[in-house]
Amino acid sequence: MLLSQVFHKIEKKIITSLRDNPKQTPESLEKSTRLLPDQIRRGIEWLRLKELAIVTESQSSVISLGKNGLESLQKGLPERRLLELLKTGPKKLSDLQKELGFIFGPSMGLARKNNWVEASSDQISIKNPPSELPGEKTLKLVGNKKIFKDKLDATDLSGLLKRPDFIIEDVIKSKEISLSDSAKSIELSDTIGEIDVEAKVPEVFVARTHPLKDTIDEIREIFVTLGFSEIFGNMAQSSFWNFDALFTPQDHPARELQDTFYLDKINAKKIGTPEQIRKVSESHKKNWRYQWDINEAKKMVLRTHTTCVTIKHLAEHKPDEARVFSLGRVFRNEKVSYKHLVEFNQIEGVVIGKDASLRNLMGIQREFYKRIGITKIKFWPTFFPYTEPSLQTMVYNEKLGKWIELFGMGIFRPEVTKPLGITKPVLAWGGGIERIAMLKYDLDDVREFYNNNLGWLRSATKCQ
Amino acid sequence: MPVVELSYTRLQKLVGKVSKKQISDSLPFLGLDIESEDKDLVRIEYSPNRPDYSTDFGIALGLQGLLGIKTGTVKLNIKKSNKFPIFVKSGVSKMRPFVTGIVAKNGKIDDKTIKQLMTMQEDLHFGIGRKRKKSSIGIHDLDKISFPLVYTTTNRNHKFTPLNSEQEIPISEILVNTDVGKDYGSLLGQSPHVPIIFDKNQNTVSFPPIINAAITTVTTKTKNLFVEITGINKDDAEDMLAVVATILQTAGFTLESVKISGMKNSTPKLEQKKISVSSSLINQILGLNLNAAKIISSLKKSRLDASSKGTNIVCTIPAYRFDIFGSMDLVEEVALGYGIQNLEPTLSPSQTIGKTNPVSLQLKSLDQTMIGLGFLEALNSSLTSKRVLYDMVNRDSSKIISVLDSKSQEHTILRDSILPGLIENLSRNIHESYPQKMFETGTVFTFEDPISEKINCSGISAHKDANFTEIKSMIQSALKIGFGIQIETKTTTNPTFEEGHCASIIFNNMSIGIIGKINSKIIENYKIRVPVVGFEISLFESILKNQN
Repeated sequence: MLLSQVFHKIEKKIITSLRDNPKQTPESLEKSTRLLPDQIRRGIEWLRLKELAIVTESQSSVISLGKNGLESLQKGLPERRLLELLKTGPKKLSDLQKELGFIFGPSMGLARKNNWVEASSDQISIKNPPSELPGEKTLKLVGNKKIFKDKLDATDLSGLLKRPDFIIEDVIKSKEISLSDSAKSIELSDTIGEIDVEAKVPEVFVARTHPLKDTIDEIREIFVTLGFSEIFGNMAQSSFWNFDALFTPQDHPARELQDTFYLDKINAKKIGTPEQIRKVSESHKKNWRYQWDINEAKKMVLRTHTTCVTIKHLAEHKPDEARVFSLGRVFRNEKVSYKHLVEFNQIEGVVIGKDASLRNLMGIQREFYKRIGITKIKFWPTFFPYTEPSLQTMVYNEKLGKWIELFGMGIFRPEVTKPLGITKPVLAWGGGIERIAMLKYDLDDVREFYNNNLGWLRSATKCQ
Repeated sequence: MPVVELSYTRLQKLVGKVSKKQISDSLPFLGLDIESEDKDLVRIEYSPNRPDYSTDFGIALGLQGLLGIKTGTVKLNIKKSNKFPIFVKSGVSKMRPFVTGIVAKNGKIDDKTIKQLMTMQEDLHFGIGRKRKKSSIGIHDLDKISFPLVYTTTNRNHKFTPLNSEQEIPISEILVNTDVGKDYGSLLGQSPHVPIIFDKNQNTVSFPPIINAAITTVTTKTKNLFVEITGINKDDAEDMLAVVATILQTAGFTLESVKISGMKNSTPKLEQKKISVSSSLINQILGLNLNAAKIISSLKKSRLDASSKGTNIVCTIPAYRFDIFGSMDLVEEVALGYGIQNLEPTLSPSQTIGKTNPVSLQLKSLDQTMIGLGFLEALNSSLTSKRVLYDMVNRDSSKIISVLDSKSQEHTILRDSILPGLIENLSRNIHESYPQKMFETGTVFTFEDPISEKINCSGISAHKDANFTEIKSMIQSALKIGFGIQIETKTTTNPTFEEGHCASIIFNNMSIGIIGKINSKIIENYKIRVPVVGFEISLFESILKNQN
């Protein structure tokens, strides 16, 4: 119970009226408060929400007379009319028939069944009728009005209900308003202009950046502060940069249509310098023992990783010392499910320098995870075609109670760097961002990020 | 990644003196991911570069090394023999020129061993065999074969009883009626002749790379095996043989050589190779300071042999480790033998100053401006469908950029516009309260040398009073306040928009986008019950003008 309550004047009027007259209908409240029906409706609703008013809804039957009922009200029930005719003495059956017409049959049947008349040869005479016939009391009581069914004698009514068009029964809904116990004693302040500052208010929706974008921005920020600079690259890439330059042989399963999106009938015009092409193809021929085909390298694909962007950058600039990263969408020809998308975001970073080592690479990862709030991590060996040694980070998720795989990392193979003229060791790491965002927003269906479901976008907490 | 199913108790027997926990704790440090466990059974993922891990025999070798039970290389002991010759005829030179093989004797084959060998064969076929194209294996019961064998060609009418069949079937029918025939028949091309291995009595032993003959089927009663591998490259076939031979020897067989001659074929040597690597490279890359002895013991734990020679480490690599190309691979082997868990991460101070890309900064400013105007940010895929991008919004679809063989119907073409996706998003939110205002910034694709990628921004507003004036004021203010860009609008027509409520957005006398009220028929088709207004602008021609 609230300590103090501020009431609207409508509420005050309703409460006051109900204190005088504890059980009322909305109609009676209209009369007593002189408020409009709509004001009464709103006031009752407010009070009900505050648990100050109790609204009991009930249904009741109302009885009025039908066509035949009204006729009987005027002329008397058919059996009364028969008895009236016999009042003056016995009558011939045929005369009665003529006099009463089609009501003769039913009225005669009823009168005989009840022993109100007596028949000898064709003479009908009155016997022993009651002064008030069954149904007459009800007929008189209802008259031309509508009357609640429960105010009538049920036995007396029942006979009439069986007769066609005698009785009309309507169901009406009614509300009864009363005060709750707490409302009976509550103080009604007289201060004018106060509002209920504790009342519920409508929800408004905040315009905001997309939750996934927030995670992307957060990750970008972390790497910038770790000394990395952001580079951009295209999503549509030649197979040369997406695969060949990364030492992925042309017959490697990852290059098949069922894993990679190839653009229909689109080939790159220029894929690299003649020297790059020659050296990359030689490395493939020597190490993978097959006929390298430039046409295969020209096929345009939607990048399967952002590594193609970083390797292209290194091949172009050949820095001795650098920290760069690229961040963007990558594509895989997968069946979309709660854990797989055809298109997702990846971050990819590289460190090049004379003292770049595997332990440094692990240190950068550890620092990154620490900054996104993950401290329980470990490293496992793994395999990527273009790095050696290769590791993956496993992070412990408290909510799921298990280790999950996040970023992969490694040192670019000499078979990758040498043909492109990169002489210093290159540490590389990368991984999907949606997985991190899923942990952050506690989602178990990755598709939610791209559904643009306003219900979710409007409710996801901005700062997690 | 390929998966192999193992039994812990079987592994314990193979490795020797280890607990189940020691095994499950060590597997990840061999690069093997435990996918699932069920009591004694464990399913693990292994890397395709380590086909020796396709059986529990191979994994046991790795575990023995890592746990220090047995270290150093596994030497193949192959008894030289003249009893098993294979002659190669000229016909195969143009289709599948090489055959190699080995004999493995006196082994015990139980059901579980057969299952492991079958998985190995399948994984080798799929991985390094490139779906049997590069090389393929046949494993036979040696005692059902009379040597010498001949590797030659036959015509497609030739009949024999293939594996899992009881009657003779012509090759042409095998190719059409069996699963393997349908899957791999295309590797044989259109030639009327196909490769075949006959024994001394002209009985068919194998029809590579499709199927073996039924008569040589390996069962639990088989004692002695004959393995043949055919392929298009001799070295690749011998690599595969090295894996099979190593596994069979580990499984308890004794190996004998198969003598191969004819058409540039020869008996396989399966020799170890030597690669030398400098200690300083190892220490530099790993960030450690290990002495030669520690490096050598680490390599031995990775089942390699090594000795020091000056400042170099000379490493001996068995034939089945053809994943080792050069010195960096050896650095990794040192790391694995040393134990990844023993590498302590370090953070060396950055020598560089980080910088956000200016494009990212501009886009972030745009996001903030749009949000200030009450727009909620949406994200859609760049890969979308013809229905959403063109059909539903009456756009001309003659310049579609599509991808091949997408597994998802909703993701088959690259978007050249962002607005259609946002309109579709509204249709999924008709039960949510209005006004609904959304915007999205993202890459759009068009044909140009061969593909041009630009960044567009689109916004929409849907509510009962949405109108042209509202959306124009918003984009006008966003560009003016956010970027000092003054735009104008010029009447135009566009099938996505309502006629008379549509304009080009003009900046510096150039059209940079479109704005207007979305065609009511489109809104109706999407079952949206309020009017919708929207815009789309090209950012490289406006706010990113100086960035590209």
